[in-house]
Amino acid sequence: MLELVAGILLAAGAVYFVLRPIFRPQLTGNGNREPGNGSDGEDPEDDFSPRAVALRALKEIEFDRATGKLSDADYDALKNRYTAEALTALRAERPGSEKRETGNVAAPPFPVSRVPFPVCPTHGPRPEADAVFCSECGRRLATAPGYCARCGTALERDAHYCHSCGARVAA
Amino acid sequence: MTVTRRHDGELHLNRRAFLTLGAGSFLGVVASWRHATLQSPDSLPGTGPSGRLWDPARAGRPLEPVTTADNDAVIRAIEKQLHCTCGCNLDVYTCRTTDFTCTVSPAMHEQVVDLAAQGMTGPQIIDQFVRQHGVAILMAPPKRGFNLAGYFVPSLAIIAAGVVLTLVLRRWARTAAPDPVPARPLAAAGTPEELERLRGELDRLSV
Amino acid sequence: MTLLGTLALWLALLVGVWGALAGFVGGLNGRADLAHSARHAVFAMCGALLVAVVSLEWALFQHDFNVEYVAAYTSRNLPIFYTWSALYAGQKGSLLFWATVLSVFGSLALVLTPRHHRELLPYVAGVVSLAAAFFVSVMLFGHANPFQRLPYTPLDGNGLNPQLQNPGMVFHPPMLYLGYISITIPFAFAIAALLSRRLDTDWLVAIRKWTLLSWLFLSIGICLGMWWAYVELGWGGYWAWDPVENASLLPWLTMTAFLHSVMIQEKRGMLKKWNLALIIGSWLLSIFGTFITRSGVISSVHSFTQSSVGYFFLAFLIVAGTASFALYTSRLPLLAAEARLESMVSREASFLFNNLLFIGIAFSVLWGTLFPILSELVQGTKVTVGPPFFNQVNIPLGLALLALTGIGPLIAWRRASIPNLQRQFAVPGTVGVFTALILLVAGMRDFYALMAMALGGFVAGTVVQEFARGARARHRQYGEGYALALGRLLARNRRRYGGYIVHTGIVILFVAFAGMAFKTETEASLRPGESASIKSPYGWTYRLTHLGISQYDALNRQVTAATLEVTRDGKRLGVLTPEKRQHVDGLGRPTFQPSSEVGIRSDLREDLYVVLGGVVNGTEQAVFRFTINPLVWWVWYGGMIIALGGLIVMWPGGSPAAKRSQAGYAVRLVGEDR
Repeated sequence: MLELVAGILLAAGAVYFVLRPIFRPQLTGNGNREPGNGSDGEDPEDDFSPRAVALRALKEIEFDRATGKLSDADYDALKNRYTAEALTALRAERPGSEKRETGNVAAPPFPVSRVPFPVCPTHGPRPEADAVFCSECGRRLATAPGYCARCGTALERDAHYCHSCGARVAA
Repeated sequence: MTVTRRHDGELHLNRRAFLTLGAGSFLGVVASWRHATLQSPDSLPGTGPSGRLWDPARAGRPLEPVTTADNDAVIRAIEKQLHCTCGCNLDVYTCRTTDFTCTVSPAMHEQVVDLAAQGMTGPQIIDQFVRQHGVAILMAPPKRGFNLAGYFVPSLAIIAAGVVLTLVLRRWARTAAPDPVPARPLAAAGTPEELERLRGELDRLSV
Repeated sequence: MTLLGTLALWLALLVGVWGALAGFVGGLNGRADLAHSARHAVFAMCGALLVAVVSLEWALFQHDFNVEYVAAYTSRNLPIFYTWSALYAGQKGSLLFWATVLSVFGSLALVLTPRHHRELLPYVAGVVSLAAAFFVSVMLFGHANPFQRLPYTPLDGNGLNPQLQNPGMVFHPPMLYLGYISITIPFAFAIAALLSRRLDTDWLVAIRKWTLLSWLFLSIGICLGMWWAYVELGWGGYWAWDPVENASLLPWLTMTAFLHSVMIQEKRGMLKKWNLALIIGSWLLSIFGTFITRSGVISSVHSFTQSSVGYFFLAFLIVAGTASFALYTSRLPLLAAEARLESMVSREASFLFNNLLFIGIAFSVLWGTLFPILSELVQGTKVTVGPPFFNQVNIPLGLALLALTGIGPLIAWRRASIPNLQRQFAVPGTVGVFTALILLVAGMRDFYALMAMALGGFVAGTVVQEFARGARARHRQYGEGYALALGRLLARNRRRYGGYIVHTGIVILFVAFAGMAFKTETEASLRPGESASIKSPYGWTYRLTHLGISQYDALNRQVTAATLEVTRDGKRLGVLTPEKRQHVDGLGRPTFQPSSEVGIRSDLREDLYVVLGGVVNGTEQAVFRFTINPLVWWVWYGGMIIALGGLIVMWPGGSPAAKRSQAGYAVRLVGEDR
């Protein structure tokens, strides 16, 4: 008898727990609050932005040469190629801005409206007006075409709403 | 050595009897000592005391003493090619020397020994078993007919895939290769400031 | 507690089905509420299954023999350690264990995955719920409910199979299961990436980490399995190419292939299709392994009792395989490569050949395992495919793979040139040749063993050279002392140098396998006082003197122990006591056939392995098998080193800030002076 009661309580609890997000979405609306996994728990090696990939390649080429695996000719060719790639990636990322490196030059004006400055889901609005990637974490930013303007999720083709946060996709 | 004592009755000893007993026991000890030294070198089958176990049933099925045929390299080689039919998935030799509860593998071993004693060679004995039980008695299928596929399909598949892979890689490499060293002007396009920034980024990456 | 357990199972099934529906619908339609509900469903399922596990353990510890499972696998006098492990000793319990572990892993994956993979998570929750719900449904509908009661209550249970009463049994199955089960997580991420069309390289991070974890558990599980087989089964070996062993090796091979080829995708954006296929294939192989273990389709030493459960798995395998394949092919256009191979002589190319060999070996093992069925279908005759077959086919492939283990690291990424390669190969090649020469002079004539050891020398040379050159490069660059440079080299490149440590472990394993070519054995029946001698491949002679037999009762068994004194070339080494054990239940009734407990005397060079076969005519004259197994301990050491290397590779990196503060390896830019 006791067991049956325990079983029913267990079932009721589980059903409530599972269905709660549907009936009372506002309670859990913020959803997915993973414990402190922003960017600081992550390995830089897990960054796959073109910039990071090209930079890592350059490092590796240098190291391979230092350990004698690359001949000078191969080294030069690879070096040139990946330096060019890295530069392209850097330029694409923040055209002519050195602000982040030099630190907080007079608190960047965080815009109230969401239009003029692109927003990183983790690091907030970016100081660079036309940034495509976040200069903190290298993540793709909201305004890029094909990505949700609110949360930065890659959108389905022809989507009218973001499937992650539900925001309407600008036409 | 066996020692017997007489506990019955009184102990009557005269001098002569005492001496006889003393000499006898001395000789006995010497004899048994010699006996012991004789025994210790290497296995002398059939010697040594071997008392009965308290409960032999606990030690499993009663076994026969090991014979030279059991350790014979030729017999062993034959048995390693034969599959025990008791359902253990082992070869006859491994089964009979591992699972001592199995009665199938010792019987098959007997048969092998018998056939060998009749003067049959290894392949003949194996043929005899195949005739009797079918090819499943062999640990590995004979290399003929469809079984060849069993042996060679994996290797051939790997070789074929290797050849295809080499060709594909060569084509990939060729389509990607056409720029020997044209990149220098490209990279030179970076302004000193940009290069400096790149440097900064690189220094932050640890390798 | 069985009512509660059964209720919990039904609840888990219900929640699991809901979780799968909500996950897929929520993901595809972008319904955040459903996605969230799916996430909660996985947690709830985990909770329900944990309640079921606790109920079963409760029944086990209470000796509730009215429960069929408890009566079948435990007895009153079973040591408490094994009472606990009876949870996964039988078919039904292990299904519960499987589903529970899967839901725990699923919950962990949902909690631990970083935020920017958020849109994958509903699908991950869906796949995990679906798979776990499948396992629960097998229990409920496949007559495999561990909470089933008997119409009567036996006085005592049957007890645990003696061969499972070994410390190895407590650790080996859970480890293997953890490896097997956790493959579902990378698979779920792969399916999620395919469904959500987020097929850039980003999702790989999540997959790679879980694959590594799964690979580590599987490696440890396989090694523990070899150890258990060696010390418990008594045939004096650790790998018999049994279908169940093969089934655990298959996903290990494909995952190892993935862990190599994933690097190409990370660095070059190539091989996306291939990598996804490897992950999906690994998971299907793990389900296939489960099918083999539980169906009895292929005869095997340690499969569970045959039952209809196998057909559930076959159906699941076919459905899941078809569905994943259809999804995969529909997304192929999104998986185009971003770069091209730069040279035939490059690390990338060598990795592709390494993948070819891994997959080739996996294929040949699978082929051999299934060949009896195939032969029956094609030529109508049943054949046996035993170790001779597998050795003949796989030893050359394994040696080729070992060679590539040494060659790969010496070639630079992207491109390399011949003169450089000559410089790279000089030292390791010389080491390999010298190893071969020394062994030849020492009198070793077995071709494969010689090759394995020579190649082992070559690979070891490669690893040492890699560490040495890396440390020297750091030393030159930063003036770090060699020890510091070596430490930093490892700490800053955990994946590369941890991988080399795994390679070292692999070399040690291969050398150990080669040692088995020199196994020698002999049988003898000895009376007390008699002795037998056996000659070791190292040239010395062991003499074993039978001192006598004693019989005594232990907790749940009646022991017959023979005592043998061991000397080597006249020097006394000690005493070995191989045993025969007759297990009994709490009422003293014999439960299983008598089993053997081997006596092993190990050192680094060889093991002396003694099995007590039985006695002659109920006297103290006993039949023994003496085996000398060279280099067995190297297998266990190799396994430990592999696990260590795997841990180093997996160890999480510090924060970017912390990394930034550690000066890295300086890079010169084009146009600067060298």
